[in-house]
Amino acid sequence: MAAQPSTIIEAKDVDFYYPGGEDADSSALSGINLTVKQGEYLALVGPNGSGKTTFLKLLNALLIPTHGQVLVKGISTEVESTLPEVRRACGMIFQNPDNQLVATTVEEDIAFGLENLALPPEEIRNRVFKTATLLGLEKLLRQPPHLLSGGEKQRVAIAGVLVMEPECILMDEPTAMLDPAGRCDVLNTVRELNRNRNIAVIHVTHFPEEAAGANRVVVLNEGKLAADGAPVEVMTDLQFLHGLGLQGTTAVELAALLRQDSFPLPPQILYNRELVDSLCSLGQKS
Amino acid sequence: MFIGTEKLTHTYMPGTPFATKALHDISFNFKQGDFALIIGPSGSGKSTLIQHLNGLLKPTSGQVVFEGKNISSDKQELLRLRKRIGMVFQMPEEQFFSETVFDEVAFAPRNQGFDDNEVENKVIEALKKSGLDPDELRMRHPFQLSAGQKRLVAIAAVLSLNPEVLILDEPTVALDTAYRKNLFDLLTGLNHKEGLTIIISTHHLDEAAALANRVLVLKQGELAMFGPAAEVFGRREELYNLGLALPPVTEIMHGLAEKGMPVKTSVYTLQEARQAINEVKRRDRS
Repeated sequence: MAAQPSTIIEAKDVDFYYPGGEDADSSALSGINLTVKQGEYLALVGPNGSGKTTFLKLLNALLIPTHGQVLVKGISTEVESTLPEVRRACGMIFQNPDNQLVATTVEEDIAFGLENLALPPEEIRNRVFKTATLLGLEKLLRQPPHLLSGGEKQRVAIAGVLVMEPECILMDEPTAMLDPAGRCDVLNTVRELNRNRNIAVIHVTHFPEEAAGANRVVVLNEGKLAADGAPVEVMTDLQFLHGLGLQGTTAVELAALLRQDSFPLPPQILYNRELVDSLCSLGQKS
Repeated sequence: MFIGTEKLTHTYMPGTPFATKALHDISFNFKQGDFALIIGPSGSGKSTLIQHLNGLLKPTSGQVVFEGKNISSDKQELLRLRKRIGMVFQMPEEQFFSETVFDEVAFAPRNQGFDDNEVENKVIEALKKSGLDPDELRMRHPFQLSAGQKRLVAIAAVLSLNPEVLILDEPTVALDTAYRKNLFDLLTGLNHKEGLTIIISTHHLDEAAALANRVLVLKQGELAMFGPAAEVFGRREELYNLGLALPPVTEIMHGLAEKGMPVKTSVYTLQEARQAINEVKRRDRS
């Protein structure tokens, strides 16, 4: 009998106010309840300013809820003595890698977290090399991070988190600065870690195509949970998405326009390939 | 030649063990009124190249040319040049340092020695040009604005000197769909109505592909392609091999064409795609 996937993250009735904004209107987040299980790949979407980054920061105790509680593997993020465990379990990848890289060479940067665990140097070197190779950084280990391109820097930041073997990776628009090939690399790597090692992923993104690739989509709007469901439910509901200033995938958007022109397309088209196949099969029928 | 380079080569930290050749033998020119894109994978030299165009970096060899003249290294002349060629960096809002939107935008005009009246006029004009309401925003703290507004304030700060060329490094990074559209509408307006020459460095072609008339492609510091947008985007295979991707909507059209639908593939917007697909249906019937 397969074991139930265990809960990694639990947010219970979470409200958050930034300092100076205690009145009810200015809450950055309010009434958030969310459970994330081992191995889930959750895309977190919402307009700019909807509270996505704030929520992510609550999940590894960079911020503490004003009301309510966040539990990581059952540990409350409020308890200071267990913060190292919370942050090891939930590694964060920020939008801009420049804010995250601290060392003078790539190798030292990836090793930073491990050095703080006081592991033997040989073990550190091995784990750093393995992670760097996974992300295609093995040739850059001796380079100073500030001389790398934006995409390479982001992969170094991801390596610094991966090397800690987290149960959950929090990513705040990790591909915003990457080129299409870099985006693909990083997304494939993260997907692989998600599938093969059962690492949960919470991925904040503005790209509908990335959200469509998750296995669950959560939408935030004005600090509240606006939707939570499978990509095929959430990312195809254009009336809802457009109402928030968001978009569906290109395939969803184009399919909707073509339905207006009375192309009889099925409702659950989400990916390019599905739209292409549907349009071509229409052509054959007529 | 309006703006461009001749045999430009740039090496970072020449003569040290870290010497890295970032650009090699680049020659191109953009015309006045162009909406130009500089694309290429991460690390291909995009940011290095655009930093040459307003004299922030000096060529190791070769020349940067503006209005037929070599950009000299004379300090006074460089200052005048930077007034005429404005540069918006990646994530420019991270460089905000003023208490109010007004002061932020007024920084450059004040530095240029304009009196208070002129500064005020320039700030108000720049905010309006950037699609912002001066009365509503001038006394606000820049950090209180939305992500999209912050980006526009950063653009206003550059427009305050009435440049003839506006260079933007990845201007839409971390903006949601609605803000991205807003920003590109603004740039299109500035290009069409004010005749502002726009140069964008990006690897995200989704919105930019439909607007550009000239495209330069970099590959590992070398010029891989340069020409009219339609010609460069027509070389899909080569772009793909460089790790670049055409907009998803263009990919859908190629997908249809590959399955035998006689559809136009040089399509970069949803509306164009809709028309092209309807066109095929009409031809089928007649």
